[in-house]
Amino acid sequence: MLNAQKYAVIVIGGGHAGTEAALASARMGVRTLLLTHNIETIGQMSCNPAIGGIGKGHLVKEIDALGGVMAHAADQGGIQFRTLNARKGPAVRATRAQTDRILFKAAILKQVQAQENLELFQQSVDDLIVEGETVKGVRTQMGMDIFADAVVLTVGTFLGGKIHIGLQNHQGGRAGDMPSIALAQRLRELPFHVARLKTGTPARIDARSIDYSKLQEQPGDTPTPVFSYLGSRADHPQQISCHITYTNPQTHDIIASGLDRSPMYSGEIEGIGPRYCPSIEDKIIRFADKDRHQIFVEPEGLNSYEIYPNGISTSLPFDVQYQFIRSIEGFEKAHITRPGYAIEYDFFDPKDLKPSLETKFIQGLYFAGQINGTTGYEEAAAQGLLAGANAALKIQEKEAWCPQRSEAYLGVLVDDLITNGTLEPYRMFTSRAEYRLLLREDNADMRLTEKGYELGLVSEQRWKAFSQKREAVEKEKQRFESLCIHPNMLSKEQEVALFDKPLSRAYHLSELLRRPNITYQMLVDLEAIGTEVRNPAVAEQVEIQFKYAGYIERQLLEIEKHKRNELTELAIDIDYQQVSGLSNEVRQKLSEHKPLSIGQASRISGVTPAAISLLLVYLKKQQLQSKVRQTNLETYGL
Amino acid sequence: MSNHTDTIAAVATPSGRGGVGIIRISGALVPEIAQSILGDCPKPRYAVHRLFKDADGNTLDDGIALYFPTPHSFTGEHVLELQGHGGQVVLDMLLKRCVELGACLAQPGEFSERAFINEKVDLAQAEAIADLIDSASEQAARSALRSLQGDFSKQINQLLHYLIELRVYVEAALDFPEEEVDFLADKAIIHRLEQIKAALKDIFAQAKQGSLLRDGMNLVIAGRPNAGKSSLLNALAGDEVAIVTDIAGTTRDTVKERINLAGMPLHIIDTAGLRDSDDVVEQIGIQRAWKAIETADLVLVLRDHSLENEHQDQYEHIAILERIPSHLPQLIVHNKIDKSGHAAGIFDSEIYLSAKQGTGIEALKTALQEQVGYQSNSESNFLARRRHIIALEATQAAVQEAETQLRIFNAGELMAEELKTAQYALGQITGRYTPDDLLGEIFSSFCIGK
Repeated sequence: MLNAQKYAVIVIGGGHAGTEAALASARMGVRTLLLTHNIETIGQMSCNPAIGGIGKGHLVKEIDALGGVMAHAADQGGIQFRTLNARKGPAVRATRAQTDRILFKAAILKQVQAQENLELFQQSVDDLIVEGETVKGVRTQMGMDIFADAVVLTVGTFLGGKIHIGLQNHQGGRAGDMPSIALAQRLRELPFHVARLKTGTPARIDARSIDYSKLQEQPGDTPTPVFSYLGSRADHPQQISCHITYTNPQTHDIIASGLDRSPMYSGEIEGIGPRYCPSIEDKIIRFADKDRHQIFVEPEGLNSYEIYPNGISTSLPFDVQYQFIRSIEGFEKAHITRPGYAIEYDFFDPKDLKPSLETKFIQGLYFAGQINGTTGYEEAAAQGLLAGANAALKIQEKEAWCPQRSEAYLGVLVDDLITNGTLEPYRMFTSRAEYRLLLREDNADMRLTEKGYELGLVSEQRWKAFSQKREAVEKEKQRFESLCIHPNMLSKEQEVALFDKPLSRAYHLSELLRRPNITYQMLVDLEAIGTEVRNPAVAEQVEIQFKYAGYIERQLLEIEKHKRNELTELAIDIDYQQVSGLSNEVRQKLSEHKPLSIGQASRISGVTPAAISLLLVYLKKQQLQSKVRQTNLETYGL
Repeated sequence: MSNHTDTIAAVATPSGRGGVGIIRISGALVPEIAQSILGDCPKPRYAVHRLFKDADGNTLDDGIALYFPTPHSFTGEHVLELQGHGGQVVLDMLLKRCVELGACLAQPGEFSERAFINEKVDLAQAEAIADLIDSASEQAARSALRSLQGDFSKQINQLLHYLIELRVYVEAALDFPEEEVDFLADKAIIHRLEQIKAALKDIFAQAKQGSLLRDGMNLVIAGRPNAGKSSLLNALAGDEVAIVTDIAGTTRDTVKERINLAGMPLHIIDTAGLRDSDDVVEQIGIQRAWKAIETADLVLVLRDHSLENEHQDQYEHIAILERIPSHLPQLIVHNKIDKSGHAAGIFDSEIYLSAKQGTGIEALKTALQEQVGYQSNSESNFLARRRHIIALEATQAAVQEAETQLRIFNAGELMAEELKTAQYALGQITGRYTPDDLLGEIFSSFCIGK
């Protein structure tokens, strides 16, 4: 590492976004540097010790399908696995792993260190080197210039971070780490729109001071779910349980008595917190009629005595935290190891980004993760992967890859952010996806692995495993579509047991599988049917694809209908004042948001269908005019 | 949403004109639609005589059909024109049939827009098309608003409210399975589903009675007591529907009558005379009269011509004019020319007639036809209402399917999908509702957050 080194891509930040970004760019064969202020904290889980959940698990599977590291690390570090919504339909089922922080982090670091084309360097970044409207590199804290053609910024909550405990506050990126103040100031000078967000974390408790006999045990699922498509149960360490306890009216009284010293309610905090992850003080104020709130007691790891009490994040003064925690059943003698706190940080309005996550103002500069107003490891990692891949594509002088809303949660995430921005830390939910029935955990590989392979993100090993699976699914599907059960093929008793009444005619297996109470297993268990399929993932795919067939077809039709709008591009520099017929409100919105396609414009709140028609007419007019000019040029040499 | 893969249909002739009524259909589904309605797809660019059939094979109308395959058509897509015998009701049934067969109602200006996008009209017309889309969509919004006034709008909003409440439960169950209550197993879900079904049933029942979603224009006759409003109603309707006396204040309630004016159904509403009254029953009648005026498409302001020189008449007439909402089209009618001796006919855009003797009634009908029939390019209330019915039918179909998914398949995520479809359909009337709006509703209804 010498002064004036040159890389293709520099990634700043070693969190979940930064590591996925650096790994993606390096996998694509591009020389990449990962700069972090502390190599020890690469892959650190700063908040709760869990990966996945509804919507988030979907993102993790997508990252995995594209060759990312998060699912693999969750398998390596997962100490309790569950499939949420297991009894609901496949589209809303999601995997979640309670994760040993140390094992998880180690798995990430190992992958980062083993990755070809990827170098690590420990140094804070103070400045970006920008020439004109193009990024050229970074300047580190010790004044070293490192040059690159693309820079991915993944600095999380570290920009202008400010930690609140009660009415006291100090600057910090996360408990125990310094914030990036110089870089925050520098970025505020660039033409980005900056705002503040807030998030919070609960106090941590010494497990040895908890009376577990008073808590309700919550074991993991059996058989244990696996996160990575390439993973197996053998990857998992020892499995342990989580526990549940509840707050009570006394807890609520103690919290209420401390509100006058809450930074949230005294106006110390200006940032906006998430509605779906309210602090305990928010919960008791907004839902005063509830006399208890659930707390999930999550172990921080196999070799840790700390637990994470999920559900009571707080920024109350420490003495209030101490009292209210000790009022909770099982926590009567709790020893707090780290106080809870709220953190405020800068984020950049993601409306200033292109769908590739490159900034609209500075070429070659990409933003990913919490800096874009999201929350959550999974949301950050997904963006990191996309930004890293697009930075590499830029180096390779290839077109950016921007997954559509109909292809991936990753597409929904990015489109939501860049189209309408966000007012609170953005978290993924399945209700955000209009094509929810298509975007499932079980088919993330079917949706994305081929694309990942094409981009160079996916290894040969993964590609081979995937191709085999895909082929097996196709074969079994064809068999189900051609094979029939004829009347009298089974005994009357069997027919009644399976189908409620004897069959009156021959039915294809695919038809029978669509019935509500018939499963794939029931059919292949019949001696006359059988199967050669041994991979449960293949069986699952066949079953889901037939069960959902009607809805899948319907959603595919919807996608087809909107495709033209999604593919019709809008230039960034359109002067919306020149578009006839638009109302002033719509003009203002379009000028502010600068949508990049007709489809994106149509999702901006307040943009009407008539406005979209007017835009299409305007585009056509421009196109015809340039055609006329071209003809004039050719005919008259004008 | 302007969507060029959709097939669109619309009535191409101005509403209310008699003679020929044309339905124009454009898009990929045209050959199939022709097959269903006509029994075959006519030879390109030949006028053929056909019976227009409904889903059960009954004849809706008979007329001329013209088929223009892509790209040699007005819009550049497959185009079918059905030229029937006009009449709003028949045209509406044909339009409804096209929608059943997969067409969407065209957005204002959409045919021209497609023609332009497919390079069927030249560059010089770009601005004209932009203007057309702009003004047509504005007018459509205005007529939608008019058709959404009063009880109808209240009921739709109630329905929307129920639907959102139910979606909040269902979506919360899917996105937040670790909360203490399983919302999907909750009886409240079934209860809310029943509420929605009942609300939809009510709306359709009322729509069928024609009280809210009328097949035609509302014409309200207003004026001072004893100006002859009921006589005029009788003269237009052709029989005695309203009681006529020479005692001012005879009509205590609004009286409705439906007439057909050159194929255009008109609902004439006779109102109580507008004046200050101490009579409680009459006061109620007068209140209802003002309410009727608010839902009018056209107000006939009637005056007793023989009294027009009197100060009291002038004063009250001006008071009435001032209270009529300014956006409502109105026609001033001078009655009782048999007493005043004025000539019958139209003078300065005002009508002079005698309802009692029938003189000048034809002139009024001509003026009405012009006022009501020639609303040029604007989307008529009639069409706005058709849009609403189509949206409500789609809502109902999706709600039914949602129930099946819940009760038979116990599939929460598919029920959610149907409810989303239902709300999207209702959104054609009530406006767009985003996933983020729904999440906001969930977070304010339940204490969620691990």
